[in-house]
Amino acid sequence: MKAFWSRFRRHKAAVAGLVVVLLVVAIAIAAPYFYPVSPWKMVQRPFLPPFANPAVPLGTDTLGRNVASGLAYGARVSLLIGTVSTLVALAVGVPIGALAGYFGGVVDDVLMRFTEFFQTVPSFALAIVLVAIFQPSLFSIIIAIAIVGWPPVARLVRGEVMAQRQREYVEAAILAGQSHLTIITRQILPNVVSPIVVLASLMVASAILLESSLSFLGLGDPSIMSWGYMIGAARTVVRQAWWLSVFPGVAILISVLALNLVGEGLAEALDPRSSRDQA
Amino acid sequence: MQTLQFLLSRLAKGILVVLAIVVLDFVLIHLAPGDPASVMAGESGATDEAFVQQLRVKFGLDQPFTTQLGLYIWGVVRLDLGFSHRQQMPVLDLVLDRLPATLLLTGAAFVFSLTVGVVMGAWAAAHKGRPLDRIITTVSLVFYATPLFWMALMAVLIFSVWLDWLPAFGLYDVGGNATLGERALDVARHLVLPAVTLGLFFTAVYVRMTRASMIEVARQDFVKTLRAKGLSERVILRRHVLRNAVLPVVTLAGVQAGQMVGGAVMTETVFAWPGIGRLMYEALIQRDYNLLLGVFVVSAAMVVVFNILTDLVYRMVDPRIEVSR
Amino acid sequence: MKKKLLGTLATSLLLACSLPGLAAAEPKEGGRANVVVQPEPPGLMLGILQNAPTQMVAGNIYEGLLRYDEKLNPKPQLATSWTISDDGKTYTFKLQKGVKWHDGKPFTAADVVFTADVFLRKTNPRTRASLAYVDTITAPDDETVVFQLKQPFGPFIRMFEVGTMPIVPKHIYEGTDFQANPANNTPIGTGPFKFAEWVKGSYIKLVKNPDYYEKGKPHLDEIYWHVIPDAAARAVAFETGKVDILPGGSVENFDVPRLAKTKNACITDKGWEFLAPQSWLWFNHRGGLTADVRFRKAVSYAIDRDFAREALWNGMGKVSTGPFADSTAFRDEKVLVNYSYDPAKAKALLKEMGYKGEPVRFTPMPYGETWMRWAEAIKQNLEDVGIKVDMITTDVAGWNKKLGDWDFDLSTTFLYQYGDPALGVSRAYVSSNIAKGSPFNNVGGYSNPEVDKLFADGAVAFPDSARQTIYSAVQKKLSDDAVYAWLIDLKFPTLTHCNVKNLITTGIGVNDGFKDAWIE
Repeated sequence: MKAFWSRFRRHKAAVAGLVVVLLVVAIAIAAPYFYPVSPWKMVQRPFLPPFANPAVPLGTDTLGRNVASGLAYGARVSLLIGTVSTLVALAVGVPIGALAGYFGGVVDDVLMRFTEFFQTVPSFALAIVLVAIFQPSLFSIIIAIAIVGWPPVARLVRGEVMAQRQREYVEAAILAGQSHLTIITRQILPNVVSPIVVLASLMVASAILLESSLSFLGLGDPSIMSWGYMIGAARTVVRQAWWLSVFPGVAILISVLALNLVGEGLAEALDPRSSRDQA
Repeated sequence: MQTLQFLLSRLAKGILVVLAIVVLDFVLIHLAPGDPASVMAGESGATDEAFVQQLRVKFGLDQPFTTQLGLYIWGVVRLDLGFSHRQQMPVLDLVLDRLPATLLLTGAAFVFSLTVGVVMGAWAAAHKGRPLDRIITTVSLVFYATPLFWMALMAVLIFSVWLDWLPAFGLYDVGGNATLGERALDVARHLVLPAVTLGLFFTAVYVRMTRASMIEVARQDFVKTLRAKGLSERVILRRHVLRNAVLPVVTLAGVQAGQMVGGAVMTETVFAWPGIGRLMYEALIQRDYNLLLGVFVVSAAMVVVFNILTDLVYRMVDPRIEVSR
Repeated sequence: MKKKLLGTLATSLLLACSLPGLAAAEPKEGGRANVVVQPEPPGLMLGILQNAPTQMVAGNIYEGLLRYDEKLNPKPQLATSWTISDDGKTYTFKLQKGVKWHDGKPFTAADVVFTADVFLRKTNPRTRASLAYVDTITAPDDETVVFQLKQPFGPFIRMFEVGTMPIVPKHIYEGTDFQANPANNTPIGTGPFKFAEWVKGSYIKLVKNPDYYEKGKPHLDEIYWHVIPDAAARAVAFETGKVDILPGGSVENFDVPRLAKTKNACITDKGWEFLAPQSWLWFNHRGGLTADVRFRKAVSYAIDRDFAREALWNGMGKVSTGPFADSTAFRDEKVLVNYSYDPAKAKALLKEMGYKGEPVRFTPMPYGETWMRWAEAIKQNLEDVGIKVDMITTDVAGWNKKLGDWDFDLSTTFLYQYGDPALGVSRAYVSSNIAKGSPFNNVGGYSNPEVDKLFADGAVAFPDSARQTIYSAVQKKLSDDAVYAWLIDLKFPTLTHCNVKNLITTGIGVNDGFKDAWIE
């Protein structure tokens, strides 16, 4: 663990990313302390530009709600949706992909047919239908995003594991009598972790964006303020009030960027070969 | 010969997948609140239960669920996707009407994003850690993280409203008697903004995939061997690293090419592009069951085709992998 | 050059450039009108489909017997003159001579009889309800139609606009399955424009009817109705000159003031007098908090309508004070309770009833950004006085279903009033219209025999002074009961480029056809 941290620390950008991510988490946790009133409360006249009134530093939206307050509360929702849905997608996608890629044959066939089954439906449409059926709520949105998110993970892991499966070290491990589970988790997965981590960090972002698309179609959870909701609602006033979409947009961008930097740092720190290189 | 056999077996499996999807979608769609009769009744402003019931009977919605499903599958098997009661047209006609526009859009976006993505990703990998790499990765990330509709709107603002270089919406300018050449040029001009906007998102994905994959491959032992053999860095990168690194990118691209067909909803909406993504969304909103299922079936078939193509490319890129089990 | 700063949009802009009827210049012939239609209509057969986009496009293809001006006075269309007998029971129409259907067949009184007596009775529930007052419809000769009523029905004269009673060709529809007739895809009417082409997802093209019976009309050669699904893109289309006409509701309200200030843009809120859309908050009267009149009153006092009018509707329309919209006949301001914004009163009422924070389910109408923002503002208004609100959102189909199944406590909505309480108001209040299946019936479930009787009597009372007494009584009763929380009498401004002249000439607006319009 210590060795891992010291490897991670060598990537300055990754550390910077981690700081930003932690900062966003802190803001999310502290939102009620900064802004005790609900972010839905209409506190000022509508369309107040940013920096005009210190009480609403980032301006107000179409109904006179505080944008800064919305950003702080939105951090909670967006991070929650992004991470939980990605974790669910990984929990489903990685095992399926790894098993399919490792065993091949009938196992691969069955699992890939199952994956294709989910993938062959246009994912965005599937998400809309799912949310529409189960009614928009935090839970249904997370589940819908996870359901459309896991097949690419499975495909990617399968491809990678398949390629690794041909390598000599796997043959050697089999000859050495290691169990399949051990080989997959100890030998192969560490070697394919970097594309998975890169994909996962992008998935967090795409989950946040997908949530915004759903919000934009009127299928967001109506009682939670998310960045996606803010951008979706600002969409029709982009021309009059740039700040309404730019601030939450930048919030998403910064978070995604930070997550990516962390992801890369992790990838390199986790990769046994890169440590060899640097040793 | 082997390839043909492989193709046939994949095709057979693909058809089964599509049929399974018909069942899943059928169940899902019928679980959604509201049906085509209630939507059409709602739109007419005033109505009574008898009127709604009359519509239901007419649309066959009064029959038992399993009967409806059975009838639908029987139809799909005969390549009959049913009738859109709302649009008063056969579903297949409606979908085929819109399919070319979507294929044009997604095809252009796909070629654009894959080319630019792989080239930029490779370029970034070759300059790993240097400013050029940082610039490329950051820019691609910005494109990835910006909501599509926002980017589209900005593109329209700059290139249509302010500069007046490119048309803002539609497939072509209506009216007039354009010759075939003029019409093609007109469509091409209309294609630029939507294709690039849709493509940019995927470009960002391919840049990152290619870059990550190239760096991964470059660390492998065979590259060191090649280096030891005295091959130039440029040759190693282009001939050996890129070729291996492209594998996961192709996996992803193949998957996304199919997805793009359905995923173009936003782009088609913002640019008023008359494709099936929009058709699907409108059908969903209107609970036009038959039409929605029809779009799902056609786009599912697309994904199956793209997956088979992906596997074919796989075989060409990396003959070591046995695909045709 | 600096753009001229305008104060409140509603007043100054409307004054600036909306003088439709007064164009002194000679109409210019030819040209093409590019119009936005949103959403794409499901079809154009106006006798079968009654939704808004269908009416807007097909109002050029089909015609009614009459049109109505801004004061809702009848004007000739397919009928040149009409008489109403002294007992109010016999309506006689003289028809235009020399009218031809778009396929060349002559139009006669038989078409009118077929339309009213056979076709619309089957296909149009709203028209069917009003036709229940009609005993016989006859054609003594080819140019005369007589409607014989069972009893006087005051609003009957307002039933002949093109959306309510579009005249359809008998020779095409008689003896067929109306809904499945293939001719529905190539509509044949008598109107100033003929259907030419429909590229689904892109545009609908209408061309001038060269044989139109009013000589010299229409002025335009063709109309293109563009299908542009995104509101922001529709705004851009207007700015770049790809379309010249944005009918009411085709861009988001937030965008209206900005577009109105662009070069060569004209705006008018005329053309909604006949439809008179009124918005309100449904209460579900079947049980729970909303069945308690004190709770309904509290909600009525808690909502800040002026804020919504300014922030969401650009200061257009009027704050509703009761169940009759501003331009609807027989409205009586004097009998109404004043429910203007008063949070203190709302809190007092809640305290009086012992409200303890039980949640109410609010299922707002999902008709785009403005309506969603409005729902959020209302929710906040209610929470400000201490009412706990669970907002439930879904798409339009889901909302239709929930309202149609009465599965809600509160919901926003708006309904057209068609100028007369018997045509457009009573349907939301009378118990006979409590029926599942549509979100536009009396879904609130308000049931009061006294009100039922008043509305029934008001419809058939004769003459108008008798109707006024009855309708004043019903307004007082509804207002005292706070049956629903009436919000705003809406206006949907029409934006055009200023070189489009004479577009809106009646109280039905763009839905009434473009026969007088021309482009400079």
